Amino acid sequence: MQWVVATAAFFASAVEFVEAFTIVLVVGVTVNWRSALLGTLAAAVTLALLVATLGTALVQWVPLDVLRTVIGTLLLLFGLKWLKNAILRYAGLKARHDEQAIYEETRAELRARGGADASSPRFELFGFLLSYKSVLLEGLEVAFIVITFGVSAATSVASRSSGIASASLGALAAGLLVILVGALVRVPLAKVPENTLKFVVGIMLTTFGTFWLGEGFGVEWPLSDAFLLILAAIYLVAACLLIVWLKQVKQQRAQASMENRPIDTAEQTEEVTR
Amino acid sequence: MKVIKAIYNFIIGDMVILIGVALALAALAFINNVAALAPIRGLSGPFLIVAVLASLFATLSREAFSPIR
Repeated sequence: MQWVVATAAFFASAVEFVEAFTIVLVVGVTVNWRSALLGTLAAAVTLALLVATLGTALVQWVPLDVLRTVIGTLLLLFGLKWLKNAILRYAGLKARHDEQAIYEETRAELRARGGADASSPRFELFGFLLSYKSVLLEGLEVAFIVITFGVSAATSVASRSSGIASASLGALAAGLLVILVGALVRVPLAKVPENTLKFVVGIMLTTFGTFWLGEGFGVEWPLSDAFLLILAAIYLVAACLLIVWLKQVKQQRAQASMENRPIDTAEQTEEVTR
Repeated sequence: MKVIKAIYNFIIGDMVILIGVALALAALAFINNVAALAPIRGLSGPFLIVAVLASLFATLSREAFSPIR
């Protein structure tokens, strides 16, 4: 057992597991747990197949930057859409049921075209895909960490397999710890109002999307993965400012329509008198 | 055509966001592949953040000033 390799892999993998688990958690709470867990399972199977087929050659064969770009772009598109709707709802420019109606309409259209599983009413393709993409990307990153840490610490063939085994154990411990902590926070999270959760999900998806898309283009974020917190803070502040601005716009429009109303009424009275 | 529309609504549902993200992607690809733009490659990260915020602002402005609301 190479403790240095195991410890390094533990911390590096923990960051990736937290990222993947965060998205699975929010999908579970906001969409449903069935879709979130099915997406996670599907990603784990895909990952296992990739690792079993390619082994250590995975590092050479999987274009991680392309994957980051594609998944980052999709997350960004999802995230911006959620964030926009959440901001509009907070500003009072969108009724809570509007989005639900659009979502149901889209789902009905997809079902009609065979795009969703109609036999399973609780399955949500959106949630499944979000979980799948995130777990697959982060899982691949964990696999990369295990392989590169394990191989780079080795000086011989024997120590190479020992290094990979140590790194795997470190990563496994990190994964189990993250799942345990996640299971504990699951219950309190479910009590948060739906609107607030959707707002937070929008911020998070936009944050992860920006981060991964940037990494796909070779951006080296300051403080590495810790920059995710700064990015989330930037988007949170921007979203709050946008809500304040939209509320002002709404007030101004309401005032303008109030000012216009008496004139209209006077004109109508005049017309009636004539 | 209806399938494409359904997929578009499902994933994005907003033309402004799609155009904003597509423009950001194109600009990043341009910055990363043109040798003459190598000195500004370090600004790719801040540029991406600004582009995302600009897309969000643009789509919200469109909704806020829409005559339907």
